[in-house]
Amino acid sequence: MKKIIIALILSFVASCLFAQDAIMIIKRVDDNMISKTQIVESQMLIYGRRKTRTVVSKSYTEGKDKSFTEYLSPAREKGTKMLKLKDRLWIYSPSTDRTIQLSGHMLRQSVMGSDLSYEDMMEDREMTDMYSAEVVGEEIIDGRKTWILELKAKVDDVAYYSRKIWVDTERYVPLKEELFAKSGQLLKRVSLTDITKVDGRWYPQKMNYKDVLKTGKGTDFIIIDIQFNTKIPTYIFNKASLRK
Amino acid sequence: MIKFIFKAIIRDKNRSLLPVIIISIGVFLTIALSGYLNGVLGDMVDQTARFDTGHMKIMSKAYAENKDQIPNDLALMGVGEITESLKKDYPNYRWVNRIRFGGLIDAPNSMGGSKGQGPASGIAIDLFSSSGDEVNRMNIKNALVDGALPTKSMEILIGHEFAKKMALNIGDEITYMGTTMNGSMCFGSFTISGTLSFGVVAMDKGMIIADISDVRRLLDMDDAAGEILGFSRDEHYYDEKVALVEKAFNEKYLDSKDEFAPIMLRLKEQNNMGSYLDYVNSFSSLFVIIFVIVMSIVLWNTGLIGGLRRYKEFGIRLALGEDKGHIFRSLIYEATLIGIIGSIVGTLLGVIFTFYLQTHGIDISDMTTDATMMMSTVLRSKFTPKLLYIGFIPGVFAMVLGNMLSGLGIYKRETATLFKELEV
Amino acid sequence: MRLAFQLAYKNLIGAGLRTWLNSIVLSFAFVLIIFFNGLLDGWNQQARLDGINWEYANGHLINEEYDSYNPFSIQDGHAVLPKEDQANLTPVLVRQATIYPQGRMFPIMLKGIDSKQSTIKLPSNLLNTSEANIPVIIGNRMAETTNLKVGDDVLLRWRDKNGTYDASSVTIVGIFDTNVAFVDSGQIWVAIDKLWEMTGLYNHASLFIANDNYIHKNLKGWRYEDREFLLKELTKIIETKKVSSSIMYFLLLSIGLLAIFDTQVLSVFRRQKEIGTYISLGMTRFQVVKIFTAEGSMYSIFAVFLAAAYGIPLLGYIAKTGITFPMSGDDYGIIMAETIYPVYSFNLVFGTIVIVVLLATIVSFLPARKISKMNPVEALKGKLQ
Repeated sequence: MKKIIIALILSFVASCLFAQDAIMIIKRVDDNMISKTQIVESQMLIYGRRKTRTVVSKSYTEGKDKSFTEYLSPAREKGTKMLKLKDRLWIYSPSTDRTIQLSGHMLRQSVMGSDLSYEDMMEDREMTDMYSAEVVGEEIIDGRKTWILELKAKVDDVAYYSRKIWVDTERYVPLKEELFAKSGQLLKRVSLTDITKVDGRWYPQKMNYKDVLKTGKGTDFIIIDIQFNTKIPTYIFNKASLRK
Repeated sequence: MIKFIFKAIIRDKNRSLLPVIIISIGVFLTIALSGYLNGVLGDMVDQTARFDTGHMKIMSKAYAENKDQIPNDLALMGVGEITESLKKDYPNYRWVNRIRFGGLIDAPNSMGGSKGQGPASGIAIDLFSSSGDEVNRMNIKNALVDGALPTKSMEILIGHEFAKKMALNIGDEITYMGTTMNGSMCFGSFTISGTLSFGVVAMDKGMIIADISDVRRLLDMDDAAGEILGFSRDEHYYDEKVALVEKAFNEKYLDSKDEFAPIMLRLKEQNNMGSYLDYVNSFSSLFVIIFVIVMSIVLWNTGLIGGLRRYKEFGIRLALGEDKGHIFRSLIYEATLIGIIGSIVGTLLGVIFTFYLQTHGIDISDMTTDATMMMSTVLRSKFTPKLLYIGFIPGVFAMVLGNMLSGLGIYKRETATLFKELEV
Repeated sequence: MRLAFQLAYKNLIGAGLRTWLNSIVLSFAFVLIIFFNGLLDGWNQQARLDGINWEYANGHLINEEYDSYNPFSIQDGHAVLPKEDQANLTPVLVRQATIYPQGRMFPIMLKGIDSKQSTIKLPSNLLNTSEANIPVIIGNRMAETTNLKVGDDVLLRWRDKNGTYDASSVTIVGIFDTNVAFVDSGQIWVAIDKLWEMTGLYNHASLFIANDNYIHKNLKGWRYEDREFLLKELTKIIETKKVSSSIMYFLLLSIGLLAIFDTQVLSVFRRQKEIGTYISLGMTRFQVVKIFTAEGSMYSIFAVFLAAAYGIPLLGYIAKTGITFPMSGDDYGIIMAETIYPVYSFNLVFGTIVIVVLLATIVSFLPARKISKMNPVEALKGKLQ
């Protein structure tokens, strides 16, 4: 009897530790990936059925609430700007000189035909606020040892009920992420590669975002340049400055 | 013998003119009615053709597979060349390009914000062509509620419920946000030149019509189109003829592995029209059959009368020694000849009438208030080759049968009795 | 005048078979006119009937936020209606979802309806009898677009009431054929209690479909669109078609008149002796003309009675069962039938009677006029004139 009780207590403690571990891992990932501000110049490669499109943009992000993006190329997109403040999103078009707010239904549309929706982009809560986490195993990806973390929603209004994240055990950078529906059906997969040290952080230079349910290659995000914690002037996050 | 009969017919106006007139009228009615019925029943088919399927529609294979989603990224390219070669190979048909598109409409308010936003579906047609072909086909002028047709680039027409919902007036500017053929985001400023009553609630609430060259520029669809539509010159659908064109066209691309190669679909194969067309055919066949039967009875009556009238004559001829069978046969020959003459005249009149109604139609737009795009206000007949011979059935056969019946009297009655009818 | 009718009546009865024959032919034309017009009206009304049977029923009680033409309103346009207000109403809940047939992505509307309902023709009962996890039915337009057949499984992705994605395989347990695209294109039907389970929106509905027993009373948060309101556009189209129907009517009427004219000509011709007799007995020509005209119009009256005798039961029967045309559902190997129900309006029948009798009289009068020009002596002798 005693043995059973000890075994139970030990496994309980162990699981708590694991859970703690998971939370700690996520926190360290966040520390690595998130900075007070970020200025990123990136390429988005959208693999269409007929051709592949490359869209270059520059984004300014402050925390999770504020984000401003300006599209630099191709010519069609050039000058188009997007501003996200908390849960609202505006788009400015230079050809019509108008700022349009996108809401509700529109946010579910895909961004530029990619596998990403506006809504996916807009998620501004901390992972640990939305999910409870547990380490469920280990795996080698691309020669790197990773922990497999399983996240289950702990609030009602998350888009993806559960997630799996493969975190590089050394660098605390995610190498793969899978997003699941309530039924456990895999919906989206994110692959992060080209992990390079920038400014003391290990950061993926390339991400592939894929809607698993439909055929196609998904969408690639390639970082051209990234700056962490640079001061961003406040006017950038001002709706009025969209028109400048 | 025949010459004898013929002379008799021409000379005795009384005897032959009346039956000929009656047969002509009967045959004329049969044809006029059938042609008209075809036109009326084919109305919905025409509607579908004008707005949606055309008599033939050409799309890229990939676009056709997903056409409900309006996948402009899969649209047909090189349409300029394809359309030109279609015009050359099939000059009996009119070929037009159309682009369907969807997106968001945002109406600006005076302060730079938005007074309304809503999803819109659009159809881009050639609004500015001098022939006004597409404008007429879609009955746009009659369906205008407010304002006028676009005359300049970037002017559009929108559903009147749509305009009401977003508090838009003629001359207001709206911003369109959509996706180009390549997947890029695109924006355009359109001015509302007029509002339309489409006649279909969904369209009234969310549809816009723009000019195809504007939309081509906006969506980066230069030399591309979602669909190429073909219409027969008389705007009536003839399935057998169109099927031939479809076969010939598709054969050219049968071996192509290109998923964006063009494919042609005729009306019958689109939008569930197959079963509807069969339905219409069954229905009109039923009508025509019953009508022909009734017409036959009436003309049979005429034949009967025609025979009965001439018992006196038969009596004389029998008395003169003519063989009963011979009289009977001459009766039949006459009846046949009269039947043919009457039927020819009737068919001629009927066909002319049908053609007239087909090309000009009866314009009832004055009688209807609130015209919409979907309701065509011109009633038309439709000519089918069938019309050429269905008149003959009651015209000749009924006539002959009637005469045959009365002719039986020749065999039954005594010569004396017949002679008595002479009553000199 | 009365004399004319009395004599006309006697003549007709006396003529026996001939009267019967002519009356039958005319009655036939008469029934045909009514039938054809009724059928054409029925055809025109078909769209209306289809609309009622498949979509409108006796009206819709719609959540004030929901607009079926605005996909933006689906998200929030639903609420719970207290059970006591739900008498004679069938709930429908609309949600947005996506299906992935053959690796393609298809945004659709997911509509939940009470599987036991019989207010609209949608074969929702199929959703009941299946053992599949999530049985769904689709229309054949949808089936064609998505390339799905009965028995196929397809992945469905939707969001629950909090916006969390859920996904599961659904099974197509039935494909229905309807002329009403509005319940077919771009949508999938599932049992509403299943949808409540899937989304967590228990007892919510975007709209209710009213059956014939429904009596509306104003409810806060819901607007009622009655049948006539929903049928507005269709009704307008039918009105326009009335004009084309009247041309049809005119053409059909002509046959009947042709028959009478025909008969009258023969009549006058055959009975020259009789005419001669009348005149020599002292009748004026005009009186004789009246007799013959009366005969013509009496034919039409006889014909009306005759037509009523066999026409009413016949047409009544057809109106109930409709005329069914078999058609091939070649795509699915199903033989489908399309039924039209003739519609006979009072105006049609009464108007036809009046017009036929009137025109019959006129048409009889014309050949009878020839009598006034006859030489009685010759007529008496039986000589042709």
